[in-house]
Amino acid sequence: MSQIQNTLKVGDKAPELKLTLTRTDLVKYAGASGDFNPMHHDEILAKQAGQPSVFGHGMFSMGLIGTALTNFLGISSIKRFKVRFTKQTWPGEELVTSIEVKEINPYPDYDEVILSVALLGNGEVKVSGQAVAHVLKKGN
Amino acid sequence: MDFEQYKGKVIAKSEVVIERSPVENFARVLKLDDEIFFNPEEARLKGFSNIVVPLTYPFVMDFWGKFVELQPAFTPEISLGSILGPLIAKGGLILHGEQEFIYHKVLTVGDHLRGESIVKDIYQKPTRDKTMTFVVTQTAWVDLSGNPCVDVISNVIHVGS
Repeated sequence: MSQIQNTLKVGDKAPELKLTLTRTDLVKYAGASGDFNPMHHDEILAKQAGQPSVFGHGMFSMGLIGTALTNFLGISSIKRFKVRFTKQTWPGEELVTSIEVKEINPYPDYDEVILSVALLGNGEVKVSGQAVAHVLKKGN
Repeated sequence: MDFEQYKGKVIAKSEVVIERSPVENFARVLKLDDEIFFNPEEARLKGFSNIVVPLTYPFVMDFWGKFVELQPAFTPEISLGSILGPLIAKGGLILHGEQEFIYHKVLTVGDHLRGESIVKDIYQKPTRDKTMTFVVTQTAWVDLSGNPCVDVISNVIHVGS
C-alpha cells in the first residue's frame, strides 16, 4: 500500500485547501451525507430559528480538513483524527485548512507524527483538533 | 439524573456494505481529487483492494449501506432519544461538540462491516447560567471476522435554555 516516507520535521505545514463556502456546497453535502437538518439548507427555517442564514455542517468542515490531511500524508498513514467544532461556517466565507506537524515520535518501523489540524474562516477558528499519522521511516 | 446507569449501554447494532457510488459522490463533494477515490484500477495500482473510502465517510455510512435484510435482531439497552429527550423537552440546543475517528485499516468499497454503538460517557458541566450535558457515543466497526476497522466517537452536547 502506498505510503510516504518520513521527510517531515516539526513545524512543517500541509498545503492549504481553500474553499469559498456556497449554499450549493451545503446542499451537496446534505445529499452526500444524509444530514438533512434544515438549518443547513432551508433559509426560511434557519432565519425563523434565529440564525442569520443557513450554515455549514460541522462534518463538512471536518471533511475538508480530512481532504487536506489525505493530500498531505496519504490516507494509509492516518491513524486518528479528532476535532472540536467551535464556530459555525457561513455561506460566502473563505475557509482555509491549517495543518502543522507538532511532534515526531520515533518507533522501530515508523515515525508517529502528531499534527494540529484546523479550519479557519473570517478570522475565526471554526474547527480545531489533532491527527496522528504513522509514516514510514526514511530509507524503509 | 443518574448518568452512571447509561455508561456502557448498547444503543445500536448495525451492518453496512460500502457501495461505490455514495463513496465517489462523498469524495467529490469534499474536493478529493486522487483517483484512488474514483477509479478501482488506480486504487489497485496503489495497493488498495478497491476504491478507497474518505476519512470521514464512516460517520455517514449507516445512511447509505444499512440494508434492511442485513440488520441484526436487536433491542437497544437504551436509546439516545430517551437520554436526550427529557432534556430537549425543557428547551435548549443540541450541538455536535467533538468528533473522532480511530482507524485500524483503510476502508474500501465492498467492505461489509458490523457496528456496535455504546454510550461511552455522559456528564454535565454547569456554566454561569446553563447546564451543558455531554453524551459521548462510540461505534466500533469490525469486519465479518471480527477484526477492528474503525471506531467512530461522537460527543453530542445539549445546552440547556
